[in-house]
Amino acid sequence: MKPGTAVLLSSLRERRSPLLRLAAWSVVEATPALASGLLIAAATDAFVAGRLWAGLGQLALLLAASLVGVAATRKLFPYLTEIVEPVRDALLSAAVSGAVTSAAEDGENDASAVARLTGQVQSVRNLLFALLRTVRQILFTVLAALAGLALLAPLVAAISAVSVLLALGLFVLVLPGLARRHRGVLLAGEDVAAEAGAVLHGARDVIACGAAGRAAAEVGVKIDEEARVTRGLARVFATRHLLVFLGGQLPLVAVLAAAPWLLRDGRLSPGEVVGAVTYLSVSLEPALRGVIGLLGGWGLDLYVNLNRLGETLGSKPAAEASASPLGPLDLSVHDLTFAYGERSAPVVAGLELDLAAGGHLAIVGASGIGKSTLADLLCGLRRPRSGRVLLGGADIAGISATALRRTVALIPQEAYVFTGTLAENIGYLAPGADEAALLRSARAVGLGELVDRVGGLSTVVGSGGVELSGGERQLVALARVHASPAGIVVLDEATCLLDPAAEERAEAAFAERPGSLVVIAHRISSARRAGAVLLLDGDCAYFGTDAELAATCAPYAALTGFWDCESGVTALRSSSGR
Amino acid sequence: MDETGAPARDRFRLPRLAVLAPLATAGSFAFELVAQGASLLMPLLLADVVDGVLDGRTAPRALALLAGLLVLRVACEAAGGLADTAASTGVTARLRHRFTRHVLALGIGGLRRYPPGDLVARLAGNTSAAGHAVPALAYMALSALTTLGGLVALWLIDWRLGAVFLLGALPSTYLLRRLTRDVTDRYARYLDLLGAISGRLADALGGSRTIRASGTAGREIDRVLQPLPDLRAAGVRTWDTQRAIAWKIDTVITVFRVGVLAVAGAGVAAGRLTPGDFLAAAMYLSIALGFLDQVDNLVTLAEADANTERVTALLDEPVAAAFTGREPPAGPGSLSFHGVGLRHDERIVLDGLDLQVEAGSCVAVVGRSGSGKSSLALLAGGLLTPDEGEVRLDGVPLTRIPAERLRRDFAYAFDRPVLLGATVAEAVAYGGGGERVRDAARTASADEFVQRLPDGYDTPMSAAPLSGGETQRLGLARALAADGKVLVLDDATSGLDTVTEAQVAEALTARLAGRTRLVVAHRASTAARADLVAWLDGGRVRALGPHRRLWTEEPGYRAVFGGEADS
Repeated sequence: MKPGTAVLLSSLRERRSPLLRLAAWSVVEATPALASGLLIAAATDAFVAGRLWAGLGQLALLLAASLVGVAATRKLFPYLTEIVEPVRDALLSAAVSGAVTSAAEDGENDASAVARLTGQVQSVRNLLFALLRTVRQILFTVLAALAGLALLAPLVAAISAVSVLLALGLFVLVLPGLARRHRGVLLAGEDVAAEAGAVLHGARDVIACGAAGRAAAEVGVKIDEEARVTRGLARVFATRHLLVFLGGQLPLVAVLAAAPWLLRDGRLSPGEVVGAVTYLSVSLEPALRGVIGLLGGWGLDLYVNLNRLGETLGSKPAAEASASPLGPLDLSVHDLTFAYGERSAPVVAGLELDLAAGGHLAIVGASGIGKSTLADLLCGLRRPRSGRVLLGGADIAGISATALRRTVALIPQEAYVFTGTLAENIGYLAPGADEAALLRSARAVGLGELVDRVGGLSTVVGSGGVELSGGERQLVALARVHASPAGIVVLDEATCLLDPAAEERAEAAFAERPGSLVVIAHRISSARRAGAVLLLDGDCAYFGTDAELAATCAPYAALTGFWDCESGVTALRSSSGR
Repeated sequence: MDETGAPARDRFRLPRLAVLAPLATAGSFAFELVAQGASLLMPLLLADVVDGVLDGRTAPRALALLAGLLVLRVACEAAGGLADTAASTGVTARLRHRFTRHVLALGIGGLRRYPPGDLVARLAGNTSAAGHAVPALAYMALSALTTLGGLVALWLIDWRLGAVFLLGALPSTYLLRRLTRDVTDRYARYLDLLGAISGRLADALGGSRTIRASGTAGREIDRVLQPLPDLRAAGVRTWDTQRAIAWKIDTVITVFRVGVLAVAGAGVAAGRLTPGDFLAAAMYLSIALGFLDQVDNLVTLAEADANTERVTALLDEPVAAAFTGREPPAGPGSLSFHGVGLRHDERIVLDGLDLQVEAGSCVAVVGRSGSGKSSLALLAGGLLTPDEGEVRLDGVPLTRIPAERLRRDFAYAFDRPVLLGATVAEAVAYGGGGERVRDAARTASADEFVQRLPDGYDTPMSAAPLSGGETQRLGLARALAADGKVLVLDDATSGLDTVTEAQVAEALTARLAGRTRLVVAHRASTAARADLVAWLDGGRVRALGPHRRLWTEEPGYRAVFGGEADS
């Protein structure tokens, strides 16, 4: 079974009691549909016979039956709610779990997923409610109308029941093709958005390439394709009118054609003819129209949405076992090679590196050269193609994930600040730390001013609270890791939005903190402050102190701005270990 | 419609869309008209047949007429459904085609205010809602008429029926409107909470790298779902409100449905009405009760209008008139800026900038971030139009050169190129010059890694894992394949290591000798290779000269690279 449907069914199974009550009240709700034809038939006979009060009496009964129906609708509403809301909760929990775990696994950030997910969950909730409310009601109406008709005129009821069953049977035959086309329309719509998205995100390049006409034509192909499959769906769906005619209108014509004989034989009274016609035209035909139209529309919408949603569902990972962080450790890298694809050029090749516990290393290199990839490798977030990263002599691949995460902390460029208090944000990686400790870390990295300005650590920040600037967000992320027990801290351009003085202060705070510091440098000044520098330059890497590299390494000189036009480039193959 | 500057409130915005698919819209209207007309006639015919039957007559003609009407109605409903779809898809597709072309015609300057995600939402979502509104509009107008027709028919059968109906209709309309407002208020609270969960989820996805590095996915899920109990409570309240409305409306309808029937019954008993009339009254009552849906329809229309507005607002953005005059003769490719000024919103980016790039020379543009280097690059080839002054190619203002020729004469490569096209080969040939793909890739040092891809140049872009530097090299190859007279490189080799960059630079120098080049540079090494460096500062060219001279004579120039050089 598809995951979306599975979540729906399993949460429906848990709601057995409200479902049963819903069914029971549905029977009561259908009373007016059952009684209306009978009562109208009796009333008509009375009116025709000139017995006004008897007729009005029948109508009073009709009023009473209808009010019972209304009361039943009112009564069963809470059961609908009890079914729909938990289903929404289950789907939303599964969707959020899926999104967060898959984002945490591949580190990708697909912000558009949020709108899509909540939109789909919302559609499922509304569609499920509409189906349970309307289609359920209509189905019971059909049954009640047929039952009433059977009491009034068994022959007419038999003819109608056969027609209705025939119509519904044919509908079931059409349904799979309809579902397939429905999905096709959805996919064609996504194709339009994808193609248009590529062109619109690349509008500058499209225009610069003089390819506006061509790009518009390529999007146009997708647009026309969507229109085509939508019209195809409409053609198949148009068959529903034929089915309604077959199940709802043909019996009416048949009854009217046969009525003279039925009346003559005394099988029907005039009132019963009116009553039968009322059942058929006022109750049955609109109900059948509703069932077929709504199941083919909302029903398939629900099905398709559920399945699309199902592709992204997940469950919450098991609770993280608590593991105490390992102490300050030597970090060393041995013959490390990494490439994104099987055949793509390696980002890091044969890298050698040593950082003693408490050391301070800066990694420099041009943008796009693979510095962040190396940071991931050092934190054990990516698996190298070959070679090893050792922590205190042990391969990090063999260290438990929980212990590793608590020992090595990475602060990326895009600072993570969630809606919550400053204390919650700063204490995120230091559960149980007291407020004084958090405040000390905040002041150490240069966040003290902000804490004082917004009125303390209990102030809510993020959307709905105090909006923070990019630099302030980076300071919050820095304070968080500063307060954590991590023995190795990797700053991946984590200070790029701070001014040079604030950056220096933050880096100094980490240098003074016990443990090792690795800085992916945004400014060359970061390298000047570090004890050791690693320069990444494509296939080559250079390792040494700032002074050594400045004196001997041309690419380092090129990066720092000094450029001797005569010397050219003399690249050293391989990297010099320490 | 593109040309009329539509104000925010425009009554005819929706009806005017019908012009985009006139035939289908007319068909949808006509079929709907016949179908609704048949619905209105049906009770009348049915009453006739029933009265005939009850009188003991067989009335084959009336019955045949009724059957014919039913067949006509079902045929019109089916045809109307197809015409509806033809109209909505037709309008949507025409709007989308027009939207795509218009957006690209607006150019880079015109699109600055619209994030791409917003444009995609307008193109994919809003146009579709606008398209659906066209047949819906016809349907709503006709169903309002039909409702009115039901009332008139009740009145004609017996004025007392019409009077009773009106007596009941007025209070229920009032009730309905008030209750609809309640639902909207409560629903807003529900949506706020749903938004809060979305916001938390967006936070978490934005911090995915942190969450991954700290192994806290489980805690994050709890945090995102924290408002869930409140959401459920708010959800229950929205249903409670709906329930309160539903039973009140149902009660009102029930009471006055039975009331109308009682009046009709009294008419039958008094001999004023036939049993057939009684039946017809019951059916017209159902039709007339359709007015209760009209409130929903108004809400739907308001939403459709809001959707349409988001599409037309963009289509109403004026496009600069294209130059359609005679093409200037081909020149050697000298480029010059004369008193060029450019503003972004209120901020002055360039202010009276003058610069001469001799034909066949290479000029590097250097400056701190935010000094307008990329804007200058876009202005050079007419991708942006200056607010003041002009840019000339071989002495001819760019505004006097046809757009197609401009795109042929200028080739661009960017620091973060977006590669379009299905395969690697198509991506490189995207700007033209399909026969030069391999050659261009070789010059850009891209040939080697492309060969290592699963299917070489035929590898689909979706199956080609490219690093930032590799993407840049393909972007550069694309510019080289296009073979323009002037090449504009906006930091196009920033992601390359120094060795590769040096190789590319040498290949470029050898291959493009005599080609005019404007090169935006962050690296000192790139600037050093240019014939001249234009140092941008304060919106103007602060100094123009060889790198070595500027380096030794201008401490401020060195600071551009040194003090805060991006590593």
